[in-house]
Amino acid sequence: MSLRRRWAVVAAAAALLSPATALAAGGDDVSVSVDRATIQTGLGKKFVFRSTVRNEGSAPVSGLIAHLNILSLRAGTYVDPEDWSSNRTRYLGAIPPGGSVVTTWQLQAVNDGSFGVYVAVLPDSGVAVAPTTTPTIRLGVTSRRTLNPSGMVPVALGIPALLAVLALAVRIRRRG
Amino acid sequence: MAVVEAPVEHAVSQRRVSGWTVVLAQELRDLWLGGRGLVLCFVFSILVSVIAYLVASSTGFNFLEQRESASLTLQAAITCGGLLALLVAADSVSGERERGTLETMLLTPVPRRQIAVGKLLAALSLWLACFVVAIPYVWLLGRDVGVVDEALVAGFVVGTLLALFLVSVGLVLSVFASSNRISLSVSLFLLLALLAPTQLPSGVEQAWAGELVVNTNPLTAGIHYIGRIVISGHGWSDDVHLLYAPVLAACVSVLVAIFVAGRFMRLRGGVSG
Repeated sequence: MSLRRRWAVVAAAAALLSPATALAAGGDDVSVSVDRATIQTGLGKKFVFRSTVRNEGSAPVSGLIAHLNILSLRAGTYVDPEDWSSNRTRYLGAIPPGGSVVTTWQLQAVNDGSFGVYVAVLPDSGVAVAPTTTPTIRLGVTSRRTLNPSGMVPVALGIPALLAVLALAVRIRRRG
Repeated sequence: MAVVEAPVEHAVSQRRVSGWTVVLAQELRDLWLGGRGLVLCFVFSILVSVIAYLVASSTGFNFLEQRESASLTLQAAITCGGLLALLVAADSVSGERERGTLETMLLTPVPRRQIAVGKLLAALSLWLACFVVAIPYVWLLGRDVGVVDEALVAGFVVGTLLALFLVSVGLVLSVFASSNRISLSVSLFLLLALLAPTQLPSGVEQAWAGELVVNTNPLTAGIHYIGRIVISGHGWSDDVHLLYAPVLAACVSVLVAIFVAGRFMRLRGGVSG
């Protein structure tokens, strides 16, 4: 049995035996923070932020799950969080008293507009406690318009133009 | 005896080689110096330009993965290049018949099978030209994700196999068709029919019947193989079963086309003729 799984079993057993411990694992003794309050980026750009889960209690905690969420702050913008990040759920290892775990979240802006991003942490025991969440990161994504994506325009115009000139030259040569 | 026979055999084989090369040279001159090939390549380049620009726009916004965009452009190039090669092959006998130039060719001392080989290779040259035209587009779309080499090699192999299959089918249709219009329209319909399974919902392709259709249809199998290499990053041999249909179709159709042309290429078209 792996160490992580062993910790999870211990945490689950503890949760069953003592609701107070479970509550602590899900909330009171655990604090979660993020390394920034706002992010401004452009459509299609990748960006990262970090969350820190800190064990404020006197006993080690384990079996915590951190989950990334994103939503539009304005009605009418469809958001599929899976499009923004392919790795939104992290299973955290044991955290000693006073210790912390830093998680790096990588996202890609696939919609423009104003968004709220936060991380929720909850115990893997599934006990009915409110998840601990980070403060919301306010994310602004500006739209981007380019007429030359991937440098395609010179090729997209140049190759047909070259072939047109060649075809014309052959035609003129034949007539001449 | 062997000493005496060897030069004779050598002379015969030389004559055979020169027969199809003469036809090939003549067909290439007609296609490329006549201007038809360049015009078709021009039309092809416009089509690929539009597709590549659209997928590049999407890629710029990262709505479409770059691997997917390179694969999509390559697949469009293979399909359109194959279509043009098919149309040239479908015109090769029935078109000459209608233009009144087939008689001259049939009167030459070149065996009809060699005429067929020359015409097949000339039609294939259009696919090769289309592939060369498509290279810069694929390079631009795939360079950032490092799939250019894989995409170009897979595209060349699969595209050439499919083009061989299509030009052979086009030649057979052209030999039997009573008019050029019939030959071209049947060829076009055939290509559309072969491409139809690509429009099936992905769920249908997962079922055994759908998978069977995809794997046995040379076009869909070849296109899926390119997708596995370019998009999924699979190894060359991981999905080699998808190459069975294109390889088999190319080999069988070339042999059938050469046989049919040798046996049935006549001044009058039609099945009974």
